[in-house]
Amino acid sequence: MRPTRGHRQVDHTADLALDLWAPTEAELLEEAGLAMVAILTEGAVLASNGACDIRIDAVDREDRLVQWMNEVLYWATVQGFLLTSAELAVEHDAVVGRAYGQTAALAEVRTELKSATYHDLRVVVEDGAWRARVVIDV
Amino acid sequence: MKVKLRQLDEHRWEIPAEGGMRVPGRIYASEAMVRDIRQDQSPQQVANVAHLPGIIDCALAMPDMHWGYGFPIGGVAAFDAEEGVLSPGGVGYDINCGVRLLRSDLTRSDVHGRLEDLSLVLHRAVPSGVGSKAARALNDRELDDVLVKGVDWAIREGFGTRADREVLEEKGRMAGADPSQVSARAKERGRPQLGSLGSGNHFCELGYVAEIYDEPAAEAYGLKKDALTVMIHSGSRGFGYQVCDDWIRAMVQASKKYGIRLPDRQLCAAPLSSPEAQAYFQAMACAINYAFANRQVMTHQVRTAMSKFFGASDRSLGLRSVYDVCHNIAKWETHRVDGVEQRVCVHRKGATRAFGPGHPDVPERYRSVGQPVLVPGDMGRYSFILKGTERAMSETFGSSCHGAGRHMSRSAAKKAAAGRPIFKELQDQGIWVRSDRKATVAEEIPEAYKDVSDVVEVMDRAEVAKKVAKLIPLAVVKG
Repeated sequence: MRPTRGHRQVDHTADLALDLWAPTEAELLEEAGLAMVAILTEGAVLASNGACDIRIDAVDREDRLVQWMNEVLYWATVQGFLLTSAELAVEHDAVVGRAYGQTAALAEVRTELKSATYHDLRVVVEDGAWRARVVIDV
Repeated sequence: MKVKLRQLDEHRWEIPAEGGMRVPGRIYASEAMVRDIRQDQSPQQVANVAHLPGIIDCALAMPDMHWGYGFPIGGVAAFDAEEGVLSPGGVGYDINCGVRLLRSDLTRSDVHGRLEDLSLVLHRAVPSGVGSKAARALNDRELDDVLVKGVDWAIREGFGTRADREVLEEKGRMAGADPSQVSARAKERGRPQLGSLGSGNHFCELGYVAEIYDEPAAEAYGLKKDALTVMIHSGSRGFGYQVCDDWIRAMVQASKKYGIRLPDRQLCAAPLSSPEAQAYFQAMACAINYAFANRQVMTHQVRTAMSKFFGASDRSLGLRSVYDVCHNIAKWETHRVDGVEQRVCVHRKGATRAFGPGHPDVPERYRSVGQPVLVPGDMGRYSFILKGTERAMSETFGSSCHGAGRHMSRSAAKKAAAGRPIFKELQDQGIWVRSDRKATVAEEIPEAYKDVSDVVEVMDRAEVAKKVAKLIPLAVVKG
């Protein structure tokens, strides 16, 4: 039986696609962020020694997912902050909350990703579960 | 919508205008390629582009096409100044990803038995790899200077000469750049990275001229059989990705504001005359200039390293820029539309400009033969130099293919490479590959890519761009 929450990479010719699922949107977003970090670090085990507050404005659920993933990417590749967990909520289309992770961790980033994209993007609620497909430009 | 393809001739296929398409689509491909093309979404993406307002003549795709973000990779479209739009999806995340080619008076015999050492020297000279950075980060004032002046900044700082400038697309400096249209985050990403290759399919490659197909054009370009060349493939790094990200968000809003119906959100756009499109153009121009400067700084790094290695000045080695092409860009150009010269906004997304003989934008020394078109292949086979033609001007808004295109996913490539001594396999072919990340090399194995000679053959037979020379790699630095 599949876990209630998770992600898997889907084979994609030029880039990288992720299937995500979780019981709530907030958990879906957290899962997406963690999946991003797992790809960037090739699955490195990370410590949690830092935190930051989050507010990301978006226009809809698809936009929220892409903006959030790109925020995680920015933290990782520019600030060296690698997400290990997050407490998130959706308020008036924005993602708010607090992110926890490892700081000063640029050296753990092993792969270059350009951006999460809107291509073929799907965020749906099916049978009470949140599911998404997102493609990342490599 | 299942896209229909109707064969027009040996190399051209039409997607008839149906539904919301304002114009037909036109794909350049061989029959064998079309079988593959039908397997992915790229024909649908060509049809989607044809929905955009103000599109002129047809939505085009070159034979290296595959699906992309908004536009397909290999996509070309031109838009009317009054009724047309500007779309970041028609430019791409890596704004002004492109290729610089250097020629030299060195030959293969000059590096016989020395490639192992020279490849290491080049690997050390050009910062490469994930998150690669320059030796020194720019300050705010310097970065703004780069964003406005492009290669002129690099030349002023001693990273090149006016001779370089004269043979670059746009002379290495796109007009209209305004750093105030660029976010603080993009600048933060750009400051430390100028003069670095990046990762993925970016590379710095030493090769040699293996074959010449057009002697007069090769002579004009300074290419001789057996002579060594250097090709640098890179773009605007994190700066450009962030500019694209920022502006896709803005353009999604603009599309709603201007009532532009989008078959795909990544095709978000605004009317060319709108403040949003003009602001994106100004930001895009900054990224274009960043990439030009980036490739110029790396050119300098290569010249310095080779000069030291061979114990001679780069001038005496004849290490001159042949040309520098952009393959992710949107710009204003004048083209003949229905017999009348018209200023249009041409988007090239994984496509290369290919202006024909006589065009004033072709450098004077090449004007009689046509603009060089640089088409890199994979690291194990070959690359090609083509020349632009009059047929390109009349059929493709002066555009051609840009490379080979992948046909194997990264994970499939890694599986195919698992357990194989890839570096040794290539060395046995006479090619030294250097990279800080084995996984990158695995992802970039030659068989992960289509054969670029097939792509180039279509362009040549369709007379859109004609073959001038074939280059074969000797030493490759991968990010």
